[in-house]
Amino acid sequence: MKANTFSENRFNYLLGLASTVGVFCIVWFLWYVFMHPDGILRLYTPMYGFSLVVVFFSALLLIKDIFEFYPFTISNPSDQNVLTRGILSTIAAVLIMSFLFYIVFWGFFGKFGITYFSPYSIIAAGSQGAEIWNAREISSKAILYFFTAFLWITITWNIGFGRWPWHRCDRGVLVWSRLFTILFFVIIAYTVLFHPNVCHLFYPAQVNAGVESWWMSFADTGSAFFSLGLLLCALFWAITSDLLWEGYPWRFLAKKDEGSLLKGVGTFIVTTVLGIIMLMVLLKIMNYFWDEPFMGGQYTDGPDFRFLHAGEISGFLILSVFILKNYFNNFPNTKFLALNAVIRTLIVIGGGVLFHLFYYSNATVLILGKVPGIAQPADAPLVWIILFLSMIVVHIDFFDGWPLKKSKGNDSNG
Amino acid sequence: MKRRAFLKSLAATGVAASVTGSGVLTREAEAKKKVDFGEVKSVKVDVLSETSWFDNTKFKKNLVDYGGAMTNQYTIPWDWDNAGGYMALVTVTELDGKERKILLDTGWNNEWVDYIYEMNNIPAMLKSGEIECMVISHYHLDHYWGIESTLKHNPDITIYGPATHFPEDMQLLKGAHLTAKDKKGKEHHICKNDVPHTGKLVECNPKGDKGDGIYRLMPGVAVRNFDVPILLRVRGENVLYFNVKDKGTVTVTGCCHPGVLSLFSYARKNFKGYQPYGCYGGLHITLFETWDPKFDDIIRGVKSFKIQKLACNHCTGWIWAEKAAAAGVPVVKGTDKYKTYKKQSTVATASNAFLTNGDFIVF
Repeated sequence: MKANTFSENRFNYLLGLASTVGVFCIVWFLWYVFMHPDGILRLYTPMYGFSLVVVFFSALLLIKDIFEFYPFTISNPSDQNVLTRGILSTIAAVLIMSFLFYIVFWGFFGKFGITYFSPYSIIAAGSQGAEIWNAREISSKAILYFFTAFLWITITWNIGFGRWPWHRCDRGVLVWSRLFTILFFVIIAYTVLFHPNVCHLFYPAQVNAGVESWWMSFADTGSAFFSLGLLLCALFWAITSDLLWEGYPWRFLAKKDEGSLLKGVGTFIVTTVLGIIMLMVLLKIMNYFWDEPFMGGQYTDGPDFRFLHAGEISGFLILSVFILKNYFNNFPNTKFLALNAVIRTLIVIGGGVLFHLFYYSNATVLILGKVPGIAQPADAPLVWIILFLSMIVVHIDFFDGWPLKKSKGNDSNG
Repeated sequence: MKRRAFLKSLAATGVAASVTGSGVLTREAEAKKKVDFGEVKSVKVDVLSETSWFDNTKFKKNLVDYGGAMTNQYTIPWDWDNAGGYMALVTVTELDGKERKILLDTGWNNEWVDYIYEMNNIPAMLKSGEIECMVISHYHLDHYWGIESTLKHNPDITIYGPATHFPEDMQLLKGAHLTAKDKKGKEHHICKNDVPHTGKLVECNPKGDKGDGIYRLMPGVAVRNFDVPILLRVRGENVLYFNVKDKGTVTVTGCCHPGVLSLFSYARKNFKGYQPYGCYGGLHITLFETWDPKFDDIIRGVKSFKIQKLACNHCTGWIWAEKAAAAGVPVVKGTDKYKTYKKQSTVATASNAFLTNGDFIVF
């Protein structure tokens, strides 16, 4: 993630607002093309579209955070080159997404290893409900869960460990080593947090392949939305500390801005603990509005929905963080970092509430084609959120904020 | 502004815009004063038709081909031959022994609905006014699009429908021929009504007729509207509640989108003298006979709520009903009578875990 480089008096907030509106419109357009129920491709089934968006976002992070654009060099290109770089990087992200989704998971893992990663393997196995729609939803859900673990590990790793322990190695060694290390932990996280649930998406449950969800006794649900909500809450703190608090308090744990073992472990542990606390607080707030959930409850009464919704609220907050950081110069920028951090966090909470209100307002009936109301099982706000986040990353990291932010030796966006 | 009021106002702006007056804000308030809506001696439900469609695969293909669960149901050229419909006849015996009848839902394919109605003498009951009113549970195609089959026998019938209708729903009620385009641009008939409704339409919302959350149809019988979002761009479901003397609360549902346990949870919080007793209807669990661990949660939940009689069909899913019965849930078994009908569901099994076409239950 980029450090804050804009100075307060040079930043043009109007152009920041214009950028936000511009990206919002692009997301609206893409939603109509890919997701809208009355649109063109109608991928919002919802798991198929959901998983594709998450894999696309993962591809963006793979390019910029893990590979750091390797094997290409990072330079300060002219406007024309920014456009070229942006287009090529975006195309690369789409290709990586397609490769991971259709070749690696559907074509390789699903075909030669784990049945549930490929809808065609599920159908071939012939269990109850094994037809293309349901099979695709199950495999999409499994892929979505895998890449949720990937996002959690990648983002938190980057903040805590950074380039450690390969910071003295050349770029090739660094990026490949980091990729395989991250994948190692992703597999562990996925296996423990999601695989048990996916194995029980079948009838009969695949009990010899995965244990019953171990969180059932205290979460009152076997759904992996428990894990999804938890990881997204933890991610909110990781992203907030990195972008709004400018890397603090983790910067106390390492020299300069480098990563370290202590910083990495500290980041993972503390953000996870904060994520658990946040999850519990959000559940309490939901209890206030909707009363206690109960096992077997549906819609807002379902414990599974409450966990998912905690993750969705984190998503709205993360979206606010990205917008404040990238389009509003991380306002405010006083001399006191602690004051900045507090005000920014409060702004982001306000922004998250506004996004939440917007998403569940009747405006999205027209814009997104969703059914009015909350907790519809086929409604997944995270799809819109992650698509929005993806477009911000594409705009800022691939297109360098073009066209509103000029890049020729000028660090303001005006 | 106090913190509590502030938090409530935040929710009111966003959520209540969609969940008009339900859930978020009113549950707590409603729970403070429990409602007494009287008692009935017994309730009988005749399963007129629970087969909304006959082949899951065909129905799902229509759904998937035209965009999935969030698509507007009026934009899909459904396979007409696969269409059936859901409707039930509810007979209430009042405490003095008098019987009164309510029709729940009106099916989909008019030929199928007419066939079922004739078989059960429904046209005569509608014409004579013996069936006093019709409750539309929700505006899904399989519960509502067969409206002409009811109105042609009594266009003046009082209807209780969710207030959260879409324009096409009202178009159909007033009389319309609706079509949808296939991928080649060809128009297909999807539903029609040549008999405009001339009676009273009670548009139900979560506030109820007296502001206490329910609509009183007769002593011991109430309709409660749950303003929930539903797949295929439908919103809101009406549920029938009965307070059966010396037994307890019975729910009768079309699809039960709010969730069967949420219905009992609502009754527990809001009805005076609540005792869980029974339920009938589609329970909207494993609609397409697939599985998810959260369906196991529902089985555990039903057991913890101590429901005495669970009669289910339609969108419940045969595998859920079978699994629930095996787990000790008091699932009321059906008979083989459905096999005498001209069409049967492809997912019916010999377990008779569904109360299906031609069966009945008395609470």
